[in-house]
Amino acid sequence: MMRTMAQPAAVNPVVQDTFFNREATLDEVVITATRTENRVSNIPLPIQVISSAAIRQTGSQRLIDVLQMQSGLMVASNPLGTALQGYPNPFGDGVQMQGLDPAYTLILIDGEPVTGRNAGIINLDRIAVGNIRQIEILKGPATSLYGSDALAGVINIITNSPGKNDFSFQSHYSTNNTLGLTASANLKTKKAGWQFFGKRYSSDGYDFDKDIYGQTVDPFTNYSFSAKLHYDFNEKSNLLVSARYSSEKQKNAYLIYPDNNEVAVGGNTVEEDKSIFLRFKNRVHDLIAYSVQFYATNYANNAKVFIKQGGDLFDHIGLSQSLIKPEIQLNIGRNPNSLWMTGVGYNWEKINSTRYDQEHQLNSWYLFGQKQWILGQTNLIAGVRYDNNILYPAQLSPKLAIAHKITPEIIVKASIGTGFKAPDFRQQFLNFDNTMVNYSIVGAKELSNVLSAQIQKGLLDDGEEIRKYMTAVDLEPEHSLGINVGVDYTFKVNTVFKINLFRNDISNMIESYSLPFYNKNGMGFFSYKNINKVFTQGVEITINHRFNKHFSVNGSYQYLIAKDKDVIRELKHGEIYKRDPVTHVSTKVAVSDYKGLFNRSRNSGNVNVRYYHERWKGSAAVFVKYRGRFGYNGLDGFTDGNDILNDEKEFIKGYTFLNGSITKHIGEHIEAQGGVENILNYTNKVYMPNIYGRIYFLNINIKF
Amino acid sequence: MTKIKLSFYSIVAITLFFLSCKKDEQTKEDVTPVVSKTDSLRASTSGHFTFYGFKEGKVVEVGDSATTKWDFAIRLATIIVNSQSSGPGNVGVITESGSFDSYTTAPESGYVYDTASSKLAINSTMSTGWFNYDPGTHSFSPKAGMFFVFKTTDNKYVKMEMLSARYEDFVGPMPSFIWHKFRYVYQPDGSREFE
Repeated sequence: MMRTMAQPAAVNPVVQDTFFNREATLDEVVITATRTENRVSNIPLPIQVISSAAIRQTGSQRLIDVLQMQSGLMVASNPLGTALQGYPNPFGDGVQMQGLDPAYTLILIDGEPVTGRNAGIINLDRIAVGNIRQIEILKGPATSLYGSDALAGVINIITNSPGKNDFSFQSHYSTNNTLGLTASANLKTKKAGWQFFGKRYSSDGYDFDKDIYGQTVDPFTNYSFSAKLHYDFNEKSNLLVSARYSSEKQKNAYLIYPDNNEVAVGGNTVEEDKSIFLRFKNRVHDLIAYSVQFYATNYANNAKVFIKQGGDLFDHIGLSQSLIKPEIQLNIGRNPNSLWMTGVGYNWEKINSTRYDQEHQLNSWYLFGQKQWILGQTNLIAGVRYDNNILYPAQLSPKLAIAHKITPEIIVKASIGTGFKAPDFRQQFLNFDNTMVNYSIVGAKELSNVLSAQIQKGLLDDGEEIRKYMTAVDLEPEHSLGINVGVDYTFKVNTVFKINLFRNDISNMIESYSLPFYNKNGMGFFSYKNINKVFTQGVEITINHRFNKHFSVNGSYQYLIAKDKDVIRELKHGEIYKRDPVTHVSTKVAVSDYKGLFNRSRNSGNVNVRYYHERWKGSAAVFVKYRGRFGYNGLDGFTDGNDILNDEKEFIKGYTFLNGSITKHIGEHIEAQGGVENILNYTNKVYMPNIYGRIYFLNINIKF
Repeated sequence: MTKIKLSFYSIVAITLFFLSCKKDEQTKEDVTPVVSKTDSLRASTSGHFTFYGFKEGKVVEVGDSATTKWDFAIRLATIIVNSQSSGPGNVGVITESGSFDSYTTAPESGYVYDTASSKLAINSTMSTGWFNYDPGTHSFSPKAGMFFVFKTTDNKYVKMEMLSARYEDFVGPMPSFIWHKFRYVYQPDGSREFE
């Protein structure tokens, strides 16, 4: 939207990329942090960029595999979503950022939100690797720009833009008969640029336990297509139109036990994701530019399972969620010296599910404003966003960020902002009876209706105990306050050292709870309410060093503490006990015994080494990610009568992923790449069945 | 699974030991010390309840479910007490939190009853109830630091703590029985003091 940098970056070493001579730098231009293009060194916020070259060098085909090797990001799945005992994992895997669950990170594609979270998780396999120009990871609350869900931060997947005429093709083959075929083409005329992308990705999956019916990961096939048109009317105005489609079909096969009889069922889960995006940009004056844009997206998930014998439908879970989002943005001033940016938009969200009584809508409008300016050696950003919604009170989310160049090499950065996460559709409207286990999960807005229906059917006796739960208590959005303070130090151009301290305080977290009664058929009820408060804090250190044009090393370390404040309070009051598993004697848990939230690693880090050999026209890369030990509730059947992490036996040991790849150019147009993921063959078949073990891959890239 | 069987026999042994102690004590006049006991009961996961009486310190036959011989009963992890909708008795309960051992005096009032099958005195639901439930393994474990004070039909006071829950060894998809281990202190003299 804005012309590029008015102020050159402090340091901007440019080195040759190892593939197709693209330029890579240590000071990338990013858009996520401010919604305008700025160099990382000019942004007073912690932001990390993964370039397409870096992605390609990993050889990875899955976004989750790329992200989990990054500093401070861990794979996290819903504990109910792990593929236990042959049952499919219906939710997929997400990433934990700054110690917060995947539900608290906003996932964007080209700045627009990806919808369709299952149990808070966006299945990242919906986003194809191969069409990514760069991934921008902004840490800390970004609600002031993007609204709900951006509490831990934002992961913005920037896809390729139409460029010069070319055609490229990639074939990927790896363990478990995994095949990836990717093709993309760019067509450039004087005013128009076209970009097309298509990918097919399939795998046989794998099975860890032949004694359990069904595979650990079932076979799947995934298709992704996208097209982009960029049209320049003149120097001042242009139009962008893009469309995206992806679908994933995965087989299901597992056993059910009606009346204690074993019955095999099978079917498919189909996920579909479509979106279109239009944007018209116009610069009406040297200092004034505006854009009008329109985004529409739909996510559908249909799981149909049939009884193997006879073919009767056993279960159908369907979900369709759409978002239509028109938005206008106005920029006044010069970027980054002094720029006013303001925007207004409307979210028209709709959801339909077999687990909801009816279609539900969530309409909201929003207004945001931001001022960024440079005063001498100081960069400032102040922004605020107002979200008005029918289902919960209006939200005002401010953010303030400042960076100061003490010397050209040392930049001190500090930012503070608030974020919120709207109660999701499930927490508001779910009405799901699990007849096999005899419980019902009811969204907060539906609870009163469901309980009155139960009373009317004579399944519950009317009374004070039930009435308590029938007065409508609206869910409040979850809130966060995030603070990031850091220093970037650039030493002799080739070395960049960054340290960032973070603290996130989340309040009003929405959790499920059981109502303290059963109905006359013994059915239990769960609903949702704003319950606890947690915090995460820590420090992230990254070092990036280029020995020369062809040899670079970067490393990172994150120290994290994440705790539930209510648990700390109860511990201080001596209200939490543990029971010795042998003697059964209960004793108080000391505050110092509390190790924090489950599934958080206190220590984690990564190291990447990249080497390019000019004469051989090839490169080698090694990627290491260490994840320190983390808690798991009920690990190996251990229980001490409380639901907090306070015992050494509740920890899963830390592990290391080691990946390596070798890339060789063959002639001008062909590149061959081979590699191994998880060289150390780490597995934890019970608790992390999503980790297969050692994977070999071979990629052939062709570009004309 | 042999572990479960061993503990089962040791439980039987302990039970017999306590029963024999009690007989000895009853022969002495004037002294009615409190009865401290650890016991287990085998509850069905889907059939009828298993009933237990504190006075006799043993499981009560299903045939006596319409009498006041029992105080509480368990099926899977649902605990009922012998009052109103659950039985002819007048057993009330208070759910307490803290240290079982240092709890000395039962409250005078505040006892709640099974007023309806959907309104039980003891909360046996999955997250707010007396146990933690692991959806991965379907196992139950009593919450530490939680116990119950009973006022029995004949106005005796008991403090009782659930200790563990373990499925009996099973073949097929679903366990049929679950063993609940618990301990209690029964005050036979009608006072509210447990010492």
